[in-house]
Amino acid sequence: MFKKSKASAALVSPYIAWSVIFIVVPLIMILFYGLSDTSGAFTFDNVAAILTPENSKALALAMVLSVISTFICFMIAYPLGMILASNKVSSQGIITTLFILPMWMNFLLRTLAWMTLLENKGVINGILSFFGLPQISVINTPAAIVIGMVYNFLPFMILPIYNSLARIDDNVISAARDLGANALQTFFRITLPLTVPGILSGITMVFIPALTTFAISTMMGGSKILLIGNVIEQEFTLVYDWNMGSGLSLVLMVFIVISMVVSALTEQKGDN
Amino acid sequence: MKKFLERFYMGLILVFMYLPIVTMIVLSFNASKSRARWGGFTFKWYLNLFGDSEIINALANTMTIALISTLVATVIGTLTCVALMGVGRKSRAFIMGITNIPMINADIVTGISLMLLFRFLHMNTGFITVLIAHITFNIPYVMLSVMPRMKTINPSVYEAALDLGAEPFFAFRKTILPDLMPAVLSGAMMAFTMSLDDFIITYFTKGSGFDTLSTKIYNEVKRGIQPEIYALSAIIFLMVIVIMLGSRIMRYNKAKRAGSKEDSYAAKKRLPIGKTIAVIALAVVMITAGLVFGGVFRSKSNQVYVYNWGEYIDPEVIEIFQEETGIEVVYDEFESNEIMYAKLASDGAAYDVVCPSDYMISKLIGEDMLSPLDWDELPYAKENLDEAYMQSAAQFDPGNKYTIPNFCGTVGILYNKTMVDGPVNSWDILWDPKYKGSILMQDSVRDAFMVALARNGYSINSTDRMELEKAAADLIAQKPLVQAYVIDQVRDKMIGGEAALGVIYSGEAVYTQRENPDLEYVIPDEGSNVWLDGWCITKDARHKENALKWINFLCREDIALKNFEFVTYTTPNKKAQELIEDESIKNSEVAFPSEESLSNCEVYQYLGNDADKIYNDLWKKVKAAE
Repeated sequence: MFKKSKASAALVSPYIAWSVIFIVVPLIMILFYGLSDTSGAFTFDNVAAILTPENSKALALAMVLSVISTFICFMIAYPLGMILASNKVSSQGIITTLFILPMWMNFLLRTLAWMTLLENKGVINGILSFFGLPQISVINTPAAIVIGMVYNFLPFMILPIYNSLARIDDNVISAARDLGANALQTFFRITLPLTVPGILSGITMVFIPALTTFAISTMMGGSKILLIGNVIEQEFTLVYDWNMGSGLSLVLMVFIVISMVVSALTEQKGDN
Repeated sequence: MKKFLERFYMGLILVFMYLPIVTMIVLSFNASKSRARWGGFTFKWYLNLFGDSEIINALANTMTIALISTLVATVIGTLTCVALMGVGRKSRAFIMGITNIPMINADIVTGISLMLLFRFLHMNTGFITVLIAHITFNIPYVMLSVMPRMKTINPSVYEAALDLGAEPFFAFRKTILPDLMPAVLSGAMMAFTMSLDDFIITYFTKGSGFDTLSTKIYNEVKRGIQPEIYALSAIIFLMVIVIMLGSRIMRYNKAKRAGSKEDSYAAKKRLPIGKTIAVIALAVVMITAGLVFGGVFRSKSNQVYVYNWGEYIDPEVIEIFQEETGIEVVYDEFESNEIMYAKLASDGAAYDVVCPSDYMISKLIGEDMLSPLDWDELPYAKENLDEAYMQSAAQFDPGNKYTIPNFCGTVGILYNKTMVDGPVNSWDILWDPKYKGSILMQDSVRDAFMVALARNGYSINSTDRMELEKAAADLIAQKPLVQAYVIDQVRDKMIGGEAALGVIYSGEAVYTQRENPDLEYVIPDEGSNVWLDGWCITKDARHKENALKWINFLCREDIALKNFEFVTYTTPNKKAQELIEDESIKNSEVAFPSEESLSNCEVYQYLGNDADKIYNDLWKKVKAAE
């Protein structure tokens, strides 16, 4: 263990100053704006505004779409992680990189690519009509938004799951098999529980950006579909109501805090 | 069999991940602008891209921000992790708790909170604010990578070094840092990635006249997909592959070298000083290049910040202005009056000169957000503008104190003759189920309500609650038929045949007809909106003199003509009108509508804050409906 020292405290202080000014104070400002009206008087209206039909619908829809997207990402990423982790060959690094590579493409370019594919006169329909097949119309629907979410956030699910799977000691698996567990039992009693931290971090890294996005819904949804992220963004950039925007952001933060607590509790359990 | 299934599964996902990218690369060589048709091979889009200084600037900004923020965050983050080992367990847990916030918090909340802070401190948003934001969200990535490693390090070697008389920093560099380095590098890599990829936080903290690649692309997409962006994607993808392969090869060589001298612990762990210096030098060179290309060093004094509608100026006009006056134009675009207002209201000094239209100008005057014009500095405006338009402008700007008319036009329906049967003469066609999925509506509150109000025979300036509710109900009923709510994208989608009918401004009609002769523009019989917009100088403008020069320049007949030929809206510049050579344009009913066709068109009036709120609330209901 390192010894406590004054020098350490001095070295920590620049970061403390930075995080207070640029993390804590800004959040207090959201709290202030969210709980006051334009004249600065205290009000709970901006937070309660989440209960209006439009806002609660935008929140509910965002929840539904992000849960679906997170689930799809998980269902794709877990088997993939297992395959990647079981390939103990030298090419493993290259293959893993291959799945992470699209992350370095710009987020908006990735979304744009799917717009191009799914448009009515887009690439997919172009190919379908070439073969005389019926056209699809997916763009500007919730399904298009889900595709956009899955495509953009999938690497964030693959990475932590793969990492936690790769860290499992082969001997543990062998031991379970030697003791008579079948493949299914081994998976559910050993592999899955050991990867819970990875799964949780994957879920947070997909769920929260999906829940709060506004760019994907604008681009893939043709501005027809309002998610809670769009509502908040528009309060700032269109309606110019900072109080309302902050109030709705506070509601969002409640969800984030809940997921923080859940993952912290689960991790603690894992530590014990 | 299992092997095959595994391969098949991996292949399937790889197709899912790479098909979109490959598609973009293929399209970047497609001579046709259409996404569904191959029009031959071309390098045209790449050449256009390299000629587009704005995108090159944005690319430079992105790299600069990513490099500097990664560097700063890595230093602060690593230092803090090391120092945290020497503070109490509880304070450490507390500090790590705060560190977790930007990681777990939604980007939109982080972005908004920082924007509120910067506005509160009256900081000029731009390079510095974006940099601060990126450093703030990058530090946690470094710390969360370094901290676990730091916890595993045994301090006894470090203490032994101290006991042997080493200076603390020297001892740290020789004993702790080498063990920490892999974690530091992977944290830095993560931070760099996140910075490159960020859109939302940058979007809220960037302010005026500054774009990173993400925000630039977002603006471009709102205007319709340009093939140049595909070329950009292809280049970025190539860069990514080169970097990844490069780092792979470097790691591979390192591993090989380490393998050959396995016994030498020191050789494996020692930091190659030469390489470190080379990396730092490279970073410095790239950052400097970025700052120069990104224009951060440009002189701040001789500028003018212009905020204009999208696709509303001939880019050459900006270049000529810069050449003639030596004033640098910082040019941003907005999509609707409301977006312009929100921007100006949150930062009055963001722009010097703006171009809102009638009702918004009267709102801005009412809220004391504009500064009066010095007519003595505007000789071309005095000389060249048609008196009739000055009188129209006086309706919302009494005495012509604040506004110089820029263009005017109408709102109507653009339709594709091959996709729509029969003559179009009524707004009702936008409610015809036959055209389900082929209708484009305007994504701006007044224009959308105008269509519904006019269709019902109400005034387009209605403030009557019942009438507005009826209009909203109509818009909700129409929504299942609507393909998308768009503004500048209408032109691109109509040209491409994506939709059959679109609500659009008159000037776009001439342009789109040039590109696609099947398109026709019509003002429905029920009447529509006729608008006039104009240049205004903001109250808090930092470059008022330059703003006047800008406005005056645009009123010069040759410039007004050039601009007219590009945007094809009605120009109030009578000298420019006389100079038009193209007879078909001169006599075009769309570019210069007759009195008769304008007889049942109304100008939007500013309806007051209460009515604004009703419109906004109802519009939100429409947007939230199924």
